[in-house]
Amino acid sequence: MTATDFNTLSDDEFRLAARAFLADHYPPELRNPVKRLHLPEARRWYEILSREGWIAPGWPREHGGLGLSAAKQLVYLDEYERFGAARLPDSGIVMLGPLILRYGTEEQKQFFLPRIISGEHIWCQGYSEPNAGSDLASLRTEAVLDEERGEWVINGQKIWTTLANDANWIFLLVRTDPSRKKQQGISFLLAPMDAKGVTVRPIVNIDRHDEFCEVFFDDVRVPKANLLGEINDGWNMAKALLGFERVFIGSPRQSGYALARLRRLAEHVGCWNEPSFRDRYVRLALDLADHISLYESFAEQIRRGETLGADVSLLKIHQSELFQRITDLMLEIGGEEAGLLDPIDGDRDLNPAGLFLVARATTIYAGTNEVQRNIIAKNVLNLP
Amino acid sequence: MDERHERAAMIRASAAGIADRSDLRRARGLRYSELGFDRATWREMCGLGWLGLRLPESAGGTGLGTFEACALAETLGAALVPEPLVSAALAVRVLAADARAAALAGDQLVLAAWQEPGVPYFAPPKTVYRDGALHGRKAFVAAARGAGAFVVTASEGVFLVAAGAPGASLTAVPTQDGGHLGTLVLDGAPAVRVAARDEDWQAALDEASLTTAAYLLGLMDAALARTVEYLHTRKQFGVAIGSFQSLQHRAVDVKLQIELTRASVHEAASILDRGAAAPARAAAVSRAKARASEAALFVTRQAVQLHGGVGYTDEHDIGLYLRKAMVVGPSCGMASAHRARWAELNLEAEAAE
Repeated sequence: MTATDFNTLSDDEFRLAARAFLADHYPPELRNPVKRLHLPEARRWYEILSREGWIAPGWPREHGGLGLSAAKQLVYLDEYERFGAARLPDSGIVMLGPLILRYGTEEQKQFFLPRIISGEHIWCQGYSEPNAGSDLASLRTEAVLDEERGEWVINGQKIWTTLANDANWIFLLVRTDPSRKKQQGISFLLAPMDAKGVTVRPIVNIDRHDEFCEVFFDDVRVPKANLLGEINDGWNMAKALLGFERVFIGSPRQSGYALARLRRLAEHVGCWNEPSFRDRYVRLALDLADHISLYESFAEQIRRGETLGADVSLLKIHQSELFQRITDLMLEIGGEEAGLLDPIDGDRDLNPAGLFLVARATTIYAGTNEVQRNIIAKNVLNLP
Repeated sequence: MDERHERAAMIRASAAGIADRSDLRRARGLRYSELGFDRATWREMCGLGWLGLRLPESAGGTGLGTFEACALAETLGAALVPEPLVSAALAVRVLAADARAAALAGDQLVLAAWQEPGVPYFAPPKTVYRDGALHGRKAFVAAARGAGAFVVTASEGVFLVAAGAPGASLTAVPTQDGGHLGTLVLDGAPAVRVAARDEDWQAALDEASLTTAAYLLGLMDAALARTVEYLHTRKQFGVAIGSFQSLQHRAVDVKLQIELTRASVHEAASILDRGAAAPARAAAVSRAKARASEAALFVTRQAVQLHGGVGYTDEHDIGLYLRKAMVVGPSCGMASAHRARWAELNLEAEAAE
């Protein structure tokens, strides 16, 4: 079957096709990684997806995507996660691509999109700054236009830049008009990571992984044409992106994976059949089941072509906190073995400390749960 | 201030040099090293009389109470001190005079090895002593690579075995705090009986559980202090984030758990020091340890969350408290084991009333 006719299949038929594709092509040694893969490990899978035409499920076919409907994308995501396939360095595909398609010039589309598809360009996202985290709109990295040379000159610093150490391009929010209200003086720029004046410093996390980086810009010059969209419209563009991704981050995968590992751990430590443990396990299992229902209700909105409301933040809050409660219980039952640095007996499925630490990040990244609650309080409950 | 508070204050002051809660560079630097702690500092600690704090003066100790021992452990916990004082102080309680003198001088580190893999915490040991030698397996011995000898429990009593004895072999796995846990396999390792009655050993073990709770108390206190400082200095939306009510309330919930732990630990120490009956002592210790183990994870998790992204980095100190709590929290019996023992002791007492 070629990549061009998936939308003619029913969702169930497509599900089987996606499942077969993954089974046939996915490198088995990369299944269910606990940590985000770096490019050297992920490269092979990226190239397979690229070669087979599956790298960009949501992009239109004329730009190398699968052109899947929203409903089919959800099916694919579901199968992808169920299979335990690793998340790629996918900022270019998931985040930037849709923005270029919507706001990019013809030249930008022709130059950048094929290079994302091929994996020649690996992108990272430069939004947060040391003093602009929850308060992202206060960002201070600035870009000044040097009219004479037709170049933007960028100065400042980004932080929590996911996999910047693997990327060769960065899309970033920069301040281009300090005189305007903070959200209104921000633009969206594209910069090569090998430009003079760009420095990357990986940050080692408490789980000993360098998934995030700091990126420094010291008089970095990029062509004027690297502005994406209108000047000072960057904030609106970045916000427009937060649709599909917000449901993505509320996916039940992490919690489902963790719950299965909780059972393994309970069997290992011998409390699986204890009624007191069983009750707590079942509570979590029910939380997961209800989360899946909630997730499905948002997925249904996407399938109907509706725009998601601010209440989608509920998904992120509940998923991340459920993941944490599952891993908290791992520590509670795991005893000394839950304080080990490496998986118990070298068994990747018995890694309570690793999962517990990974779970710590989920209530912080992609908008802290505090910020998510603010959003719901203000925009859903309309509290003063 | 009563005398024991005065003595506790003196101990805290004397510990300030080794256990500086405002500077974790030493603790950070020792992570993932061979021993996970520093022998020179260990000698210094012995020189200050900390190892023999609970031993009578006639046995080379300083004859202080559990309350003071808890004050010391709390101070060490606040600075994440990695030297294995709790385990060594447990071992030294049962050593004979010669071995005790070498241990107290800091010449020989003797650690206690009483837990066994797969055996519930309060169940009797499966290790056996036969024809002058030990057979069995001891687990979860923190800092085991630094020990010259181990005090080992067996069904026949308590024994001393040299680390390098024939038939004794040690393996170790690294832990989240940068230390390690040793497993001691005893396959006919020659050992000598130490003169300890079972009830003395149990009492010393309860004290070790309580000082572990006190260590966790200090750890929590320091984690909250740093978090409060961060809430004062970190600004977003033009104000200190500590001005946000939701974060204030979270910090208060953390404070509440710390004060419950403090009250529980102090009460248990008082009960031990006034020589209450064994069941009352055990119940008080289990109550304090169950609280401390659970609160320590809650407090340090919240401390990381309240620090946001920077809390998730290894280079920021706040994560060190969390990862220490992951390791020390379950030591000397995890919360559920202590809850079960408390229930057994208390519900029986209630039924008898």
